[in-house]
Amino acid sequence: MIDSNNNQSDVGTYLTFEMNEETFAINVSKVLNILEMQKITWVPRARDYMKGVINLRGAVLPVVDLRIKFGLPIKEDSVDTSIIVLSIIKEEEEVLLGSIVDGVREVLEIKDDSIVASPVIGTRYNSELTTGMLQVDDKFITILDIDKVFSINDVVEYKEQSTTETLEK
Amino acid sequence: MEQFKQKFIEEANDLIQDLESSCLILSSEPDNQAHVETIFRAMHSLKGGSAMFGFDMIDACTHQLETAYDMVRSGAMKVDDKLLDISFKVIDHVKDLLEENDNLSESTLQNHSQLLIKISEIVNVDDSKTKDPEHSSSSAEETYDNDINTYYIKFVPNRDIFRNGTNPLLIINELVSLGENKVYSFVSEIPVFEKIDATHCYTHWVVLLATNATKEDIQEVFMFVDVDCEVEINNLGSNLSIKEADLIEIDSEYENGADLTADLILSHLEPIVKSESISDNIEVEEKKNNIKNHSISSIRVSSEKLDELINLVSELVTRQASLSLLAENLDHKDLNPISEDIDKISRRLRDSTFSIRLIPIENMVTRFRRLVRELSADFDKNIDFITEGTDTELDKSIIEGLLEPIMHIIRNNIDHGLESVKERKALGKPENGTILLKAFYSGANVYIQLSDDGRGIDVEKIRRKGINLGHIPEDAAMSDKEILDMIFLPGFSTTTKVTSVSGRGVGMDIVKRKVTELKGEVSIDTEKDVGTTMTIKLPLTLSIIDGLLVMIDDTHYVIPLATARKCFDFSHKDLTNAVNNLIYIDDHHIPFANLRTEFGINTEPPEREQIVAIEYNGSDFGLAIDHIVGEYQAVLKSLGSMYRDQEIISGATILGDGTVALVLDPHKIISQFKFDKGSKE
Amino acid sequence: MAKKILIVDDSDSIREVVNFTLENEGFDVLVGVDGQDALKFLNGDKIDLLITDLHMPNMNGIELIKEVRKMDVYKMIPILFLTTESQTEKKMEAKNAGATGWIIKPFVPAKLIGAINKVLA
Repeated sequence: MIDSNNNQSDVGTYLTFEMNEETFAINVSKVLNILEMQKITWVPRARDYMKGVINLRGAVLPVVDLRIKFGLPIKEDSVDTSIIVLSIIKEEEEVLLGSIVDGVREVLEIKDDSIVASPVIGTRYNSELTTGMLQVDDKFITILDIDKVFSINDVVEYKEQSTTETLEK
Repeated sequence: MEQFKQKFIEEANDLIQDLESSCLILSSEPDNQAHVETIFRAMHSLKGGSAMFGFDMIDACTHQLETAYDMVRSGAMKVDDKLLDISFKVIDHVKDLLEENDNLSESTLQNHSQLLIKISEIVNVDDSKTKDPEHSSSSAEETYDNDINTYYIKFVPNRDIFRNGTNPLLIINELVSLGENKVYSFVSEIPVFEKIDATHCYTHWVVLLATNATKEDIQEVFMFVDVDCEVEINNLGSNLSIKEADLIEIDSEYENGADLTADLILSHLEPIVKSESISDNIEVEEKKNNIKNHSISSIRVSSEKLDELINLVSELVTRQASLSLLAENLDHKDLNPISEDIDKISRRLRDSTFSIRLIPIENMVTRFRRLVRELSADFDKNIDFITEGTDTELDKSIIEGLLEPIMHIIRNNIDHGLESVKERKALGKPENGTILLKAFYSGANVYIQLSDDGRGIDVEKIRRKGINLGHIPEDAAMSDKEILDMIFLPGFSTTTKVTSVSGRGVGMDIVKRKVTELKGEVSIDTEKDVGTTMTIKLPLTLSIIDGLLVMIDDTHYVIPLATARKCFDFSHKDLTNAVNNLIYIDDHHIPFANLRTEFGINTEPPEREQIVAIEYNGSDFGLAIDHIVGEYQAVLKSLGSMYRDQEIISGATILGDGTVALVLDPHKIISQFKFDKGSKE
Repeated sequence: MAKKILIVDDSDSIREVVNFTLENEGFDVLVGVDGQDALKFLNGDKIDLLITDLHMPNMNGIELIKEVRKMDVYKMIPILFLTTESQTEKKMEAKNAGATGWIIKPFVPAKLIGAINKVLA
């Protein structure tokens, strides 16, 4: 993995992934591993987005479906469907969990000053859950504050305004 | 620093335990030198670490006590009740300080100042000794001073300073780098050439230094050589010029061979203010540090490392199961014996790995001894606390969970069980009451028994109380055992008066609840005027359970065998036609729950289903599942905080094929089931 | 090449703090829990500096230094004591056994590094 502070200007390293044809990014410091989709043991009486548990090297790892959590439509599992193993901070404790996404894309080095604040109006996601947005070519990438996403136990609010045309600043 | 602080707290807790047990031993054998040493060492380590990690208050009180025990070591002081009492108080106080960490409560702060006064009364040390010359004295008076001060520094190396590889000139160089300076060197002691010993240093120096460095900074220059030389550092004051022009008089004194003392120099400079003479020669204390090194027979391992090891070993065992299966299916003549060998080794490896988590009960006995000691004083009863089999080992987490219930039982023994000295005499019993803690293995269980030789529990009194409280009807035909078991009901207390000890708002129901949480059982035996025995039965470990592997839909579940009584086969139709969720098994109608319904599973059920009869509050309750796979020894793993609301699942385990099976908590399922349906009836 | 430092202390927390501080400074750090434990490192790769506690079980700091100084390769390496003891008598005993200097606990990382750079220079 690339050392995140070896440069004079602040550069962050992010893992990008796709859900519902949109690109999201998470700081790689939060990412421990990427797994192929596998059989998940369902746990009764849990919330819908809590998909169950898997065996991660002898430990039991809870798996969530980030798509359900965001209220996004679920694609059928494909070869691209992956589980990103994340280390998040929840209620001041480190928690490991797997998160199902449509597909993992790439690792990007992003300069801090190229990240713009998410517009409060027009973005589909609660701006509190993102650290900002980034434009790469003609595509927008939403950078998620993954700790915040999982600090909320409910399905995350999904704003009604439709997206990209209002994003220019 | 935080992560180290945590480490220190763990370490400190271990040290406290050593302190406690050694103090207890001293209370019966005040001359036991080995334990005085242990206490001194533990205080010393606590002091060092606490200062390092910002626990200044721990530093303060352990430092004082360390001094006290050092005096005991040297024979200047005797171990008496006063010293031990204060030691126990400091131990408790240190525990509070560790626990409260940064959020000190008002009472702890008050306690602290009171304790310090009490210690100093006992230790009666003069101030110069309690102050640590290396840090506390100088930092307080110097650090706020940002002015340029002029220092007089006299540096007289010992003759043999070269022998340690020290070059005094390097020290002079370092000094002059601190600010404006003037160096005078004194060479008059150099002998005539023939007599010079090249390995000796004959020179000494006086340095005048105008600097904003503190005296502490200057002392630092000499940090490695301060025993190889005499160093005198005087702060001559601020605003003194040491420019060449102002030093002419001093220069001429020097030329004339005068000894440049601080006073002499000061007389030639602007005569301003104080001259505090602090010699760096620290008073040599008469201390004999003949610390005996007792060797440690154990090492401390972080529980994370242990968990990781246990995880790896359990993974190995589960993977091994797949290998065995494969070998069996292939029926290869060379592979089979190898697989069997590895299987044996893996199991042994697993067993010994799990045993690492087991610690002897002795670890908590110290706490009980102290409790007995304190309570016997409070109640003015003479009590002998006897232990047996304290080398019996239990899982660390179980031991931790047992502290509170056992302490409560002991409180009850002392408060209610044991008679006063007078009563005992009248009954012809020995004056001293006895509390016996006995631990032993039996099968896969550990038993801990607490017995007293007191008045016993009056069964008739309990029965009447039970009737009064409406727990049982007036004419109930009950065995003594059943009556005694009512003691464990919430709100059931047999004393009419509230004492300071058992009036803490916890009853025997808490004892029962805590023990049940540990998957244990508690029972009671008593005989009038002979005594009472409480028996706690516990599993050896919480991390392995013998279970029944079952399937519902496409998911594996484990039902702990400890609760499962029997299994029965039914057709799906039988179950759906059952009235009021009652089914006829073994000449009884027993209630049952279909886990498919409970879990909200909507797929097509199999034609035949199984009912596992679970023992619940003395009777049977059935849980319906799809089918039974077989017995399975499960390594229990936590589901983690994300699933902490799923009370009906006590954990998970990893099967031979690498998939996860969920371990059910049948009692939780049943109690929640009753709750749901209860409102409908 | 990074200088190799051996730390010997029976306190886990102190050991880790020192280890952390030194590794951050780019030193190569080895750790031992007592004198006896430390000796086994000394027979391996040559170390450049030894930092040891004074009071330890099995073999205390003074005994350790005496052993170390007996070894030919370690006649000259710097040895620092990390201790709460500040009496001159103890320091003398340490010096006579072959210590180069000492750092008094509690220490701040800067002071520790300063002292180390001083003896490694």
